[in-house]
Amino acid sequence: MGKLGFSLMGSYLGYQAQNLILGEDDRPQRQSRFRQKASRRVREELGALKGPAMKLGQLLSMQDNILPEETLAELANLQMHAPAMHASLARAQFKSALGKYPEELFREFDPEPFAAASLGQVHRAITLDGEKVAVKIQYPAIRSAIENDFKLLRSATIPTRLTGHLPSALLDEIQRGLLEETDYVREADNLYFFRKGLGGLDYVTVPRAYRELSTDRVLTMSFVEGGSFADFLKRKPSQTLRNLVGYRLLEMFEVQARVLKSLHADQHPGNYIFQPDGRIGLIDFGCVKRLSIDVLELRRWYRDRAWRESDAAARQFLTMIYGNAVPFARARKILPMLERMMDIMRPQGSKSEVVIDYRDSAGRKPELKEAVREYTIQVLRDKLINPEFAFIMRADMGLHHLLRELNAHVNLTKLWEGFGDGPAGAHPF
Amino acid sequence: MKTKRDAGKTRQQGKRVKNKENTKRAILRAALELFAEKGFYNTTTKAISRKAGIAEGTLFNYFETKEDLALYFFEDELDGVIEWYDRNTRLKRATVSEQLFAIIQQFLDHLAPCEEFIGAVYLRALAPASKLSPWSLQSQERQLRYLQFIRRVLAQAETSGDIPRVGDFGAYAFGLFHLAIVTHWLRDRSRGKEQTLALLDRCLKLGTHFLRKGGWDW
Repeated sequence: MGKLGFSLMGSYLGYQAQNLILGEDDRPQRQSRFRQKASRRVREELGALKGPAMKLGQLLSMQDNILPEETLAELANLQMHAPAMHASLARAQFKSALGKYPEELFREFDPEPFAAASLGQVHRAITLDGEKVAVKIQYPAIRSAIENDFKLLRSATIPTRLTGHLPSALLDEIQRGLLEETDYVREADNLYFFRKGLGGLDYVTVPRAYRELSTDRVLTMSFVEGGSFADFLKRKPSQTLRNLVGYRLLEMFEVQARVLKSLHADQHPGNYIFQPDGRIGLIDFGCVKRLSIDVLELRRWYRDRAWRESDAAARQFLTMIYGNAVPFARARKILPMLERMMDIMRPQGSKSEVVIDYRDSAGRKPELKEAVREYTIQVLRDKLINPEFAFIMRADMGLHHLLRELNAHVNLTKLWEGFGDGPAGAHPF
Repeated sequence: MKTKRDAGKTRQQGKRVKNKENTKRAILRAALELFAEKGFYNTTTKAISRKAGIAEGTLFNYFETKEDLALYFFEDELDGVIEWYDRNTRLKRATVSEQLFAIIQQFLDHLAPCEEFIGAVYLRALAPASKLSPWSLQSQERQLRYLQFIRRVLAQAETSGDIPRVGDFGAYAFGLFHLAIVTHWLRDRSRGKEQTLALLDRCLKLGTHFLRKGGWDW
C-alpha cells in the first residue's frame, strides 16, 4: 500500500489531476505510453490488495469521462479477474463460517472458484437434494480489513477533508456501503426483496438464497445459467437483440428506481448474466441503495428547468441534490453548467422522443463530453459532492457503460409510457 | 510345530499391542472430553479413569502424568495429519504455500475442540522441567518427525522449482512460524478464528513470494 501510494501520488494521480484541472493535452503519445504502464501497475497493485482498494478500482473503471481509455481497459480486467483464495483457504473459511466443511454439506463442491466477487469468490456446488447452486465465500477477516483501510484513508485524507474537497460524509457513505457488502445475511434479504420486486419482468432471473446454507460470510444461491457480457457480445448479437437487451436493462433500472425505490448499485458487467435469447440474470446484491430522492421528481425538475423560476425554487432544487450541507451561494454556481448539459442532451420544449443511441460512438456529441468535463471539474472545485449520490451515480454510470458497450438504441419515451408517463419526459443524466 | 507356535505368539502380541493402543485412545478421548468440560487443571486422573472405564491404577500404566497424555495427543495428531496429507491427491498438485497452509490448518482444525487444553499445555511447556518443553527429549522425538515431514513437503517444492533450496533450515523456520500461528490462534477472538486464516494465508503467500523472487540473495 505504501509503495502504491508513493508511486501513484508521486506520478500518476498527480499527473492526471493536473491534466484534468489545467486541461493540458500536449504530447499525447508520451501520455498514452505512460498511462498504459501506469494502468497496469495500478491494476496489479490494486488486484493484490482486495477489498476496498479493489472496489475503488472497479469504481474508477466505470468513470467513462474521467479516466483515459487505456486505464479503463486495464481496470476493467479487475472486474472478472480478482486474485483467488486457493481451495484450502476457501474450504477453511467455509468451515469457519458454517462450522462444517463444504463436502459435509453438499453432494458436490467444486474446490476451484468459477467467478471472483469483489469481496470473495464463487464456487459451483450441488446440494444434498441435487440442486445446482453457487456458493459465495468471503475472504477471511475482510470486514476488519475494510475498517483498518478506512482508518488509514481517513488519516491520509485529512487535508482534502479539511478543505472540503472530500467530505467526511462521503467517506462514511462509502464505508457504510462496503461494510454492508460484507454482510451476506443482508444480501440474502436483498435477494428476496429484488426477486419479488422484479418478479413482474419475466425475462429477469434473480437467484434464490438458501438460508440454511448461508451465514454472514457464506452465501448459497440458486445457480443462474448464462454467460458473461463479453460472451454475449462475442456471439455477435443482432442489432435487434442488442436493442432488446438495452431496453430491458433500462426497464429493470426503471422498476428499481420507481417501484422498488432501491437500486442494485453495483451494475458492472460482471453482475449481469446473459442468455443468448436476451434473458438476463442479475446477481450480487451486496450493494443496494435505498433511494431517498424521488427520481421522477428529479426528472421533472430537469425537464422544466424549474429552478429558473425563483431563488426559492433554485434553493429547493439544489437542496434536493446536494443536501443542506452545501451553502446555496456555492451550489447555485453549478446551475449554468447543468443547464448547458441539459440543453445539449435535451433542448427544452423539444417534442421529439427521448432516445438513447450509442450505436455511433463517433457521433457522440463532443460538446457534451466537454460540458460533462466542465461540470465535473466544477463539482470537484466547489466541493459539490453529495454522499447520497455516490451510490446512485455508481449505479447509473455502470448501466450506461453497459449500454454503450452494447451499442444499443433505446427509445426512452416508449419505455416511460409503459410506466404510464406522458410523452416528452426528460432523461436526467 | 515350533514355527506355528511362534506365529501364534506374534499374533497374540499383535493383538495385545492393538488392545493397548485402543485403551490409550479411549483414555485420550475421555480426557479430552473432560478437559473441554472442566478444563485441564480441574480434571483429575480419577475422573479420567472413571470416564474411560478403567481402574485408576491402570491409567498410570499408560500415562504417568497429564503431560504424558498431552504428548500422546500431539503424537496422535501428527500421525493423523501426515496420513491425511499423504492421502490428499489434490493437495499434492497445489502450490507449496497452499500445502503449508493446509497442513497448519489441518492441525488447528484438530486442536479446535480442545482449545483450552492446548492453551494449558502451552503454559506448561514453558517450564524447563516439563516433558512438554521443546527441550525435553521426549518431545524432540515428535519434533523430529514433524521436521522430517515438513522437510519432505519443502523438498518436493524445491524439486518442482516452486521455491529455491531452503534445506533443513526451511523446516525449522516453518516450525517456528507454526508455533507463532498457534499462539495467534489461541488468542484469536474473531468469529470462527478467521483472523488466523487471513494471517496464515498472507504470511505464506508473502513468504513464498519473497523466496521465489529473491532467493537468498537479499
